[in-house]
Amino acid sequence: MKVDFKEIDRLLQKLRANPYKIFPVETPHTGYIKEFKVKEGDSVTGPTGKWLEKPGTPLFILERERNPKIIRAHTTGIVQNLREDLKGRFVQAFETILEIRHPLSQEEVISEVLLSALHVIYAEETARFILVPEISHRIEKHGLKRAEVRGGEDILIMTFMKREHFIKIKEEGRFIIYQVYFKPFELVPKGSPLIALCPSEDLPVLERIVARIREEWPS
Amino acid sequence: MKNKVLIANRGEIALRIMAACEELGLDYVCVYTKGDEGSLHVKLAKEKYRISDYRDMNDLLCVADYAKCTAIHPGYGFLSENYRFARRVVKRERPLIFIGPSWEAIRDLGNKLTMKRIALEAGVPVIPGTIEPIYNEVEAEIEAEKLLDELRSHGVENTSLLVKAVAGGGGMGIEEVKDLVELRPVFRRVRAYAKRLFGDEGLIIEAKIPVFQHLEVQVLGTKDGEYVHFGTRNCTIQSPFKQKRIEVAPGFDYEGKFAVYNFDPRKVEAEIIEHSLKLAKHVNYDNVGTFEWLVTPEGKYYLMEVNTRIQVENEISAQISFVHGKRINLIKEQIRTALGDKLGYSQKDVEFKGYALEFRLVAEDVKRGFQPVSGTITRFDWVDHPWLTMRTHVPRNERYEIPTQFDPNLALAIIYAEDFTQLIDRCETFLSEVVIEGETSQGAPLPNNIAYLREKLKFIYQFIY
Repeated sequence: MKVDFKEIDRLLQKLRANPYKIFPVETPHTGYIKEFKVKEGDSVTGPTGKWLEKPGTPLFILERERNPKIIRAHTTGIVQNLREDLKGRFVQAFETILEIRHPLSQEEVISEVLLSALHVIYAEETARFILVPEISHRIEKHGLKRAEVRGGEDILIMTFMKREHFIKIKEEGRFIIYQVYFKPFELVPKGSPLIALCPSEDLPVLERIVARIREEWPS
Repeated sequence: MKNKVLIANRGEIALRIMAACEELGLDYVCVYTKGDEGSLHVKLAKEKYRISDYRDMNDLLCVADYAKCTAIHPGYGFLSENYRFARRVVKRERPLIFIGPSWEAIRDLGNKLTMKRIALEAGVPVIPGTIEPIYNEVEAEIEAEKLLDELRSHGVENTSLLVKAVAGGGGMGIEEVKDLVELRPVFRRVRAYAKRLFGDEGLIIEAKIPVFQHLEVQVLGTKDGEYVHFGTRNCTIQSPFKQKRIEVAPGFDYEGKFAVYNFDPRKVEAEIIEHSLKLAKHVNYDNVGTFEWLVTPEGKYYLMEVNTRIQVENEISAQISFVHGKRINLIKEQIRTALGDKLGYSQKDVEFKGYALEFRLVAEDVKRGFQPVSGTITRFDWVDHPWLTMRTHVPRNERYEIPTQFDPNLALAIIYAEDFTQLIDRCETFLSEVVIEGETSQGAPLPNNIAYLREKLKFIYQFIY
């Protein structure tokens, strides 16, 4: 694998200069904002626990058809740009209600940096994706960073304009499935990363990069 | 109180419902999803709301309440044939009018299996096959064997079967089985597909009618038990994925320009209309509906399914149907009668004149398996003629990004003529004048199906093999 160490240095420098990501929190659907559970500057946390079984901090309550829904934080950070003017009002779907200024964790930095080092399959269209069932079983059995795929194998199914299309691994060789970036059947915007693969023989190089980031970036 | 309609749909049908509401003097609101902002219905609607999905019932009802709507028009696709939605619309604390048939009629006829059972009860012929969903392959094999024996005992040669997803539609989730040994793998494949796409893995097995024409009967019923029909349509020209591409009304070629029948087409037409009305009356059907039939070269006919909604191709029936000398508008009739108006005419007042043909202009690559394509339309233009009606959500001569979440239909071109020769001339003129230009998301020229439509125009009214 040709790893561009200069590019990795540049990325790390950029992340060090601004080690935050802004996550807008949108209404998942229409409804009325009944109550805010946070105010500007509050610290919030995303889901925690071994299986993320402990839900994130409640942010606001959105009520629709008499069903109140607690909208919770999906990530850790500080609340900013809270739209308090919307309290008690009707909102459309995908209205931004607040933002969470999220400090990047060590794992997130690793993930970001590895995007430039791994063989990544990106969404060619805005569409819904699932893993081919056989690949999904392999990941369940062996786990990420262990499950293997071969060049030429069908790896993803894209549902697009009411038709299914199989996506193959175009390159030859054996690969480790390193990371999956989407949830089954969610709408993935064009150009987003879907799955990252690592040629089996390159895993040691990758592990060296990960070790370096772990050393340099506080956990 | 003045009625206000929530248009729970997108694309050209949303535009046609908007126009019908305006002509009836009704207020309306539109909804749209992320990615659909560039569509014409969004640009033209004065009152509009962004929702999460056109299939999200709670979002639609929440907007309907907020905007003080009194009725919901579901259009076609999405929730239009979901009887649970139709029931919920009318049964809630703040009930609304559902502009479509009653939820009971949708429940009875909208599901292929229930429809088959009810049709058989009413003495309406249906395609031979199973009438219960099948979930396991052994059961499927037993049923397939029985069906093949039955067909052979009736002297049917070259029998083959279709394995269909109960919840499928629009040609999706159907595969052919020519030999019993193929059944198990095909059954497993269609079942997995049905589970993935429709969340329901129930399948049925039907005889494949090898040679046929696809006919439709357009019916309108009211809550007062009035029934009329607006003749037949022929929808035999489809893509290899069973998606309609050319439709023509009336459904039979009485002038004998294209088809040679071994039966009396007027008699067969009268019989399928009679059966359709019989079934509609049997379930108190009370809005627009389409009864889809397969007609064989011997003049046998089988009811295939009932579409309990307005159909994409409704306008070709409307263009040849005149009441008291005035052309009918089926969407207006649908809204008006759902809001409680009497029909105001009977079958004897409906006069049929001329021919109407619809082309579906689609962004699809006919050379590469009719693959739908996404991308940007940079030029979409045609020459206006008094005989041409264009129905499209694509802005004319403006850049338009084709959304990828929906099917790639771009426009419907409806052509009217007084006689058959004139119809074909006008169709050819239109196809030579229409321009669709653009590029795919990969930067290649945007393909379309115009060449396919031109080629297939020669085959209208013919039996397909």
